[in-house]
Amino acid sequence: MKIKRLIAAGLTATMVVGMLTACGGGSSDGGGSKKKGDTLTVAIWDTNQQDGLKQIMDDFTAETGIKTELQAMDWNAYWTLLEAGATGGEMPDVFWMHSNEAVKYMANDILLDLTDYVAKSEKLEMDKFPQELKDMYTWKDKVYAVPKDRDTIAMWYNKKMFDDAGIAYPDGSWTWDEFYEIAQKLTKDDGSQYGFACNPSNEQDTWMNIVYTMGGTIVTDDNKSGFDDPNTIKAMEFLDKCIKNVMPDANTMSETGTDVLFQSGKVAMISQGSWMVAGFKENDYMVENCDVTRLPKDATTGKSVSLYNGLGWSASAGTSMPDEAFQLIEWFGTKEMQEKQSELGVTMAAYDGASEAWAGGAEMYNLQAYIDAMEDTVFRPHTNSTLAWWNPMVEELKKPWNGEESMADACKNITSIMNEKIAEEDY
Amino acid sequence: MANPKKGTSQERNEFVWGWIFILPTMIGLIVLNIYPIFKTIYESFFKTGDFGRGNIFIGVENYAKLFGDAEVWQALINTFKYAIVEVPFSIVISLVLAVLLNRKMKGRAVYRTIFFLPMVAAPAAIAMVWRWLFNAEFGLLNHIFGTKINWVSNPSIAIFSIAIIGIWSIIGYNMVLFISGLQEIPGDYYEAASIDGATGIKQFWHITCPLLSPTIFFVMITRVIGGLQVFDLIYMVIDKNNPALYKTQSLVYLFYQNSFVENNKGYGSTIVVLLLAIIMIITVFQMWGQKKWVHYS
Repeated sequence: MKIKRLIAAGLTATMVVGMLTACGGGSSDGGGSKKKGDTLTVAIWDTNQQDGLKQIMDDFTAETGIKTELQAMDWNAYWTLLEAGATGGEMPDVFWMHSNEAVKYMANDILLDLTDYVAKSEKLEMDKFPQELKDMYTWKDKVYAVPKDRDTIAMWYNKKMFDDAGIAYPDGSWTWDEFYEIAQKLTKDDGSQYGFACNPSNEQDTWMNIVYTMGGTIVTDDNKSGFDDPNTIKAMEFLDKCIKNVMPDANTMSETGTDVLFQSGKVAMISQGSWMVAGFKENDYMVENCDVTRLPKDATTGKSVSLYNGLGWSASAGTSMPDEAFQLIEWFGTKEMQEKQSELGVTMAAYDGASEAWAGGAEMYNLQAYIDAMEDTVFRPHTNSTLAWWNPMVEELKKPWNGEESMADACKNITSIMNEKIAEEDY
Repeated sequence: MANPKKGTSQERNEFVWGWIFILPTMIGLIVLNIYPIFKTIYESFFKTGDFGRGNIFIGVENYAKLFGDAEVWQALINTFKYAIVEVPFSIVISLVLAVLLNRKMKGRAVYRTIFFLPMVAAPAAIAMVWRWLFNAEFGLLNHIFGTKINWVSNPSIAIFSIAIIGIWSIIGYNMVLFISGLQEIPGDYYEAASIDGATGIKQFWHITCPLLSPTIFFVMITRVIGGLQVFDLIYMVIDKNNPALYKTQSLVYLFYQNSFVENNKGYGSTIVVLLLAIIMIITVFQMWGQKKWVHYS
């Protein structure tokens, strides 16, 4: 009897202690990062890049003896984890930053101030990175991230459909009007094939490029909505014409996704970002039937504008190993590793001129289109709290997509939503 | 439990041990449920800052906004539509299955396992599979029926499609509860009824239903609460480009969207406080209503 009681008491005690420590562990650190001895924890949101980055990190460990551990998760899980981590004081040591969220993290001192490190670094050549990208990750003259990569946009097309219709493959010298004519020819009346596809949420990779190419803007220089700009409206009306005449209905595109429609031979052309290429290389149908070219130009200006964006490597302000964390960030930013990142096909490099190897790494596609797109780029539109208006903008655009509202009215509504949200920004 | 000061040493002993045994559960409840409830109510009166810092007290401003927010009321309607379909259908179907599977028959264990399987699979995986079954372009359902229905993107039917997934996933769990309830009904009642000439259907209405009513009541209470908290199915099946999103998003979905995507935790909290109030009112009514139809033997 006594022995049983003792065992029971022991078990209960371990359970209670176990729970208490599990719950209390976070707060006892007082805002510091998890102490894991000598291992740097690294978090990213793109599993496609996991293997390549792992190799680069292994080289780092071989060179410096600092151990690393990589966690990859999906976009939503990543930001939930990072925000909860920043609130509770348990963050990964080194992680990616995105232009949507950067200001919030920089303004609240969540990120490690890298200014002095970068200034003293002998390996980093900061002047080789695009200025807008560096500005994005600088807040009140302090540097919070080192650029990791950049992306551009290009147009994918289905060669077989072009052959069947007797249309020459686009060589990148086309205009949006020519594009529209081709798309019309490739749209079949029975609904078995469409010329083009684009969802409201294909902003950066599709419709915003049309806006900038036609001389419009999303955010003006004085931080207002650009949706009342006549050129923006012109571009959106062009898009509206595409929605009505050469695209599958909104239901189909939202249910299936434009890339899947393209990969299953339902759609002849889609515009996509360079970050999708790693996955496209693995798709047998696309390897066999598809290729990529530059986005069309505007007939009057003769320009073809691609949006670009880039991630940054940053570290947690509370990390227990700030020097080591910077060493790793510095490692990722060196010319050699930026080139290696391209060679491994992870992404295009942020470092100027280090992306050639990325384009050469896939002989099945003409990835040079993405490199050429760097000639004329606009940085992804942003304000200090981009997310506050970005989602309502996409939400409003669903209405013209469904035919519930005219595109002109949608532009008007977006203008007022954006201006209202931007005025509320408190950074 | 007896007052330990007055009782015998054994009573005192039981008192202490009783508390020790429920302590782990109590700590879990307080840390993971009760504290967050009050914290959420508290936060609903604030304009929350980033990372839990710099919260500004704004009184009932969030509530004022809530009452004027058409999106919230639409979400409430969506949530009710979902629950009104899911709860009765899942209860009726699983009750029938439980009665059928409670007899002696070949392969009973196999059937029980099959019906319980959806409960074991991860909800996210279930939702992904159903999303492709429902797909208008390539989906199996349209293929079999030869139709071209936009199951999950037609605003007027999408919420019911989601409810079908909900019913399918919960049937097994309800069924197990019903089977355990059925096994507590003594066989003599049925024997006596048979001798008196009652048919199977009559036995079901006059013996099974009244004697099973406590279990039905329990399942109903938990399913109504669960149904009103629907989130993961909607989140996984309905893409943000989906034209049906406005007519399918539930209150919890809206809470997630506000709190974690748009980073407005104060307003997000307000939305769940509304849900909490609604669930409490409904549950109180159900508790009160049970006197009329639940028979505790």
